[in-house]
Amino acid sequence: MAGIVVENVTKSFGDTKVLRGVSLSVADGEFVSLVGPSGCGKTTLMRIIAGLETVTSGEVSISARQVTRLRAADRDVAMVFQNYALYPHLTVRQNMAVPLVMRRLTTAERLPFAGKVLPSARAKLAQIRTDVTHAAELLAIDGLMERKPAQLSGGQRQRVALGRAIVRKPSAFLMDEPLSNLDAALRVTTRTEIVALHRRVGASTVYVTHDQSEAMTMSDRIAVMMQGELLQVATPEEIYANPVDLRVARFIGSPAINQISANVTSSGVVEVQGQPVGLVSPARGPVVLTIRPEDLTLGSQGLAGTVEHVEFLGESVLLHARLGGGELVIARVAPSDRAHLGIGRPVALALRLDRAMLFATSNERLACAPTDDVAAAPVNREAVNG
Amino acid sequence: MADLALTSGTAMPREGVAARQTRGFGTILVAWMLMLPAIVTYVLMILLPLVVVLALAFTDYEFGAPGFRFIGLDNFAEMLGDRTFGASIRNTLVYSLFVVPLSIGIALLLAVLIEAGARGRAFFRAVFFLPVVSLTVAMATAWQYLLHPSIGPLNAVLRDLGLGTPNWLGASEWVLVSLGFIGVWENVGFNLVLFLAGLTAIPRDLYAAAEIDGVRSGWSKFWLVTWPMLGPTLLFVLIITMTRAIRVFDTVQTLTQGGPNNASEVLLRTIYQEAFHYFRFGYSAAVTLVFLAIVLALMLVQTRLIDRRVHYG
Amino acid sequence: MAEPNATRSLTADLPRLALLGLAAFIALAPYLWMISVSMKPQSEVFAASLDLIPNELALIENYGKVLERVPVGTYILNGLIVCFGILVFQILFAVPAAYALAKLNFPGRDIVFGFVMLGLLVPYQTTALPLYIGFATTGLLDTYTALIAPFVCSVFAIFLFRQFFRALPDDLINAARIDGMGEFSIVWRVILPNAWPAATAFAIFSVVAHWNDLFWPLVVVQKGDLYTPAMGILAFRSVEAGEDYGALMAAALLVTAPLVIAFLFAQRRFIEGITMTGLKG
Repeated sequence: MAGIVVENVTKSFGDTKVLRGVSLSVADGEFVSLVGPSGCGKTTLMRIIAGLETVTSGEVSISARQVTRLRAADRDVAMVFQNYALYPHLTVRQNMAVPLVMRRLTTAERLPFAGKVLPSARAKLAQIRTDVTHAAELLAIDGLMERKPAQLSGGQRQRVALGRAIVRKPSAFLMDEPLSNLDAALRVTTRTEIVALHRRVGASTVYVTHDQSEAMTMSDRIAVMMQGELLQVATPEEIYANPVDLRVARFIGSPAINQISANVTSSGVVEVQGQPVGLVSPARGPVVLTIRPEDLTLGSQGLAGTVEHVEFLGESVLLHARLGGGELVIARVAPSDRAHLGIGRPVALALRLDRAMLFATSNERLACAPTDDVAAAPVNREAVNG
Repeated sequence: MADLALTSGTAMPREGVAARQTRGFGTILVAWMLMLPAIVTYVLMILLPLVVVLALAFTDYEFGAPGFRFIGLDNFAEMLGDRTFGASIRNTLVYSLFVVPLSIGIALLLAVLIEAGARGRAFFRAVFFLPVVSLTVAMATAWQYLLHPSIGPLNAVLRDLGLGTPNWLGASEWVLVSLGFIGVWENVGFNLVLFLAGLTAIPRDLYAAAEIDGVRSGWSKFWLVTWPMLGPTLLFVLIITMTRAIRVFDTVQTLTQGGPNNASEVLLRTIYQEAFHYFRFGYSAAVTLVFLAIVLALMLVQTRLIDRRVHYG
Repeated sequence: MAEPNATRSLTADLPRLALLGLAAFIALAPYLWMISVSMKPQSEVFAASLDLIPNELALIENYGKVLERVPVGTYILNGLIVCFGILVFQILFAVPAAYALAKLNFPGRDIVFGFVMLGLLVPYQTTALPLYIGFATTGLLDTYTALIAPFVCSVFAIFLFRQFFRALPDDLINAARIDGMGEFSIVWRVILPNAWPAATAFAIFSVVAHWNDLFWPLVVVQKGDLYTPAMGILAFRSVEAGEDYGALMAAALLVTAPLVIAFLFAQRRFIEGITMTGLKG
């Protein structure tokens, strides 16, 4: 049962196409991250789901209800804004109560002093107070209830914004870069807390971020968006190991995936700098060979290059090497290898062939497979020695 | 000025960085040299005259007279029985009570209307702002024609409608209303641009958050977001408009000369008349002090009220 | 207020436009009739018709009378001399003082700033009497000096520039010092060029205020050839024109035009200037 379904949505501002036919389905209770570089349309898509922006064409439904033409107020979604958008003149308690007051009380009951006069309003306000307190306890902000937003730290404001969102148990939960205003250390701990909170609340969640590591660590699935299109929607593991598009491969992972220009000969052999690397492909002509840093190993054979820079990270070492063709690649190697890695020394980097991928220069993924005999052949030994 | 108390307190330690490195006798000398022209003119043109006016208020000095003596509070005692002064205070008050709420209310309404759509923004903003840059004396003359009892367009319309045709600037029961109306016309544009600046400073996300929180009508959004967020601007505009209203002079001097029968006499005109018409500088100085006291009282209210109630920081 | 409204249809926007249009008409009414009457012959003015377009043009009659009897050019020139005289001194005196208050640390700084704040609270009309006595005893009444001198020290300018300079990074000044600049050249070669927005805003505020001022010229000027535009209109009304609205409107239009035209050409700057300096009216 789908929680949020976006079907073929387009959005144009004047002549600029911001979204070009986006379809996305978020299952009930699923946590999906919308990730992409800034300006890719991810925030626009979120605002369309929220009802803050209209679609040019396409449909949106939430909990099997068509909401495309409904206003945000009628969609039963909650949202956490990048800068929290707390009402600065209201206390934490009042801020969190706003969505409940607006939904549960009639216009007459919302009048000043109505709470003192109308019994119905008094009962509802008491219930709201209980609900707000409950949500505040969940987020451990119940000690801050009478403060105003300006008296809170960034992390506390962020919790209040979360509190305002979860207090009314929405059917969809939207977060627009909620961690981007926090400092690095707080960002990492808050990630875990948001995931834990999502597990308790259980609402379908769309989480917008430009930070791929946030998306990787938090989500059930990741939707990678670029230039108004969804390139791939898949689990973090799948996105990382098996990207369908070169742009996805480049965007996900840190340090970034290595890209090496290669060529497929007419017999289907993949060559780098004219040397076969141990892969065959049905494609032909110039291609891009990619390999993650941890899939390059130091050896006596492989791609030849010279050491340009070495970064010591503790548990591993990042080796930056310049290949014969002038391309810079990064390999993640064991700290014990560091001793042999003097700047300017020649190295040979072997590919883990089952992890290597091929992409067309126009970004699409191409098929490739290791050739057994090539792996054994000493193809690159001369290059290393020479 | 509202921000002043906040900023002057917080920024002190930060600016010490540049300052510390250059401290010493040289810096002190340079600093005073930089301030010298300002200090000299300040003393001559502001401080000294202020002291003199304070002293004058307690004398019977008349301009051109050979001498004067200190008469204590006699000038202030005289005010109590002075019908012109009484009318002046009363009229200034009535004028302000007319101009302040109307020019603020109308400016706020127009600002919200302008912000509410894309069409005509720049045009309307420019139109309402026009009076601010127009020569008040000249525009007062144009209003005099519009409000002219026999040949003015306003009364021509009223006559066509079969209504009365008051002598807007000549009848004591209408003159303050007419001057007040011109005052509103003058002040709306000024307040409007301040409100527009205040409105654009409200984060758009607050309206989005309100929408998500289930706030449907523009009316509710105004009271949940716009009104409280406009708080600092509003109190600020309030004080400014008050001090502007209290200082009304140009239109009165141009159109009515305080008449008919003191019905539009106002404080600044009384100061001007007493000094430069009757040459009673001592008495005029005393009225000046009353005027200054009112202005200072408003400023005091501002600093007390604004910083406490409207800043959410 | 919410974004969707910005793109709504013309019909939905109509009530808003109608209300604004009505208000705009009232705001523009004096201008419309000022232009209209300045072109009407006296007979038509006294016919009290509502027509804005004159049946018969009396441009030469009205404007001719004004230009013949009133030295409008002199008034405008006086206005320019006074406004720019005031502005130049204000900037010249306020900028270095504001720099010292914002970026230098010296004993007595807080006291000096206290005096600036005191000055902000005092409307200039308060000091009119002693200043008049001063100018009268030194024989400076009826001079440009009397029109300009009281305003050359603008505490408001000092305040505004100080706030602005404080926001400039200290490192900018430190870099200039390392490059060998003295404090005086820092003020004019580093600080002022960076204070351009504040200076423009203040210039607009100052010119608007002094161009329109009536109180002070009325106090110190008697001689016609020193009349500022505001004084000129006032004198023309009482002495020459009386009920001759055609000529009166023509004169009003001529002296109002310079600043209004300047505003129409640089609306954004004017409005920003007034908003930024909105602290003081």
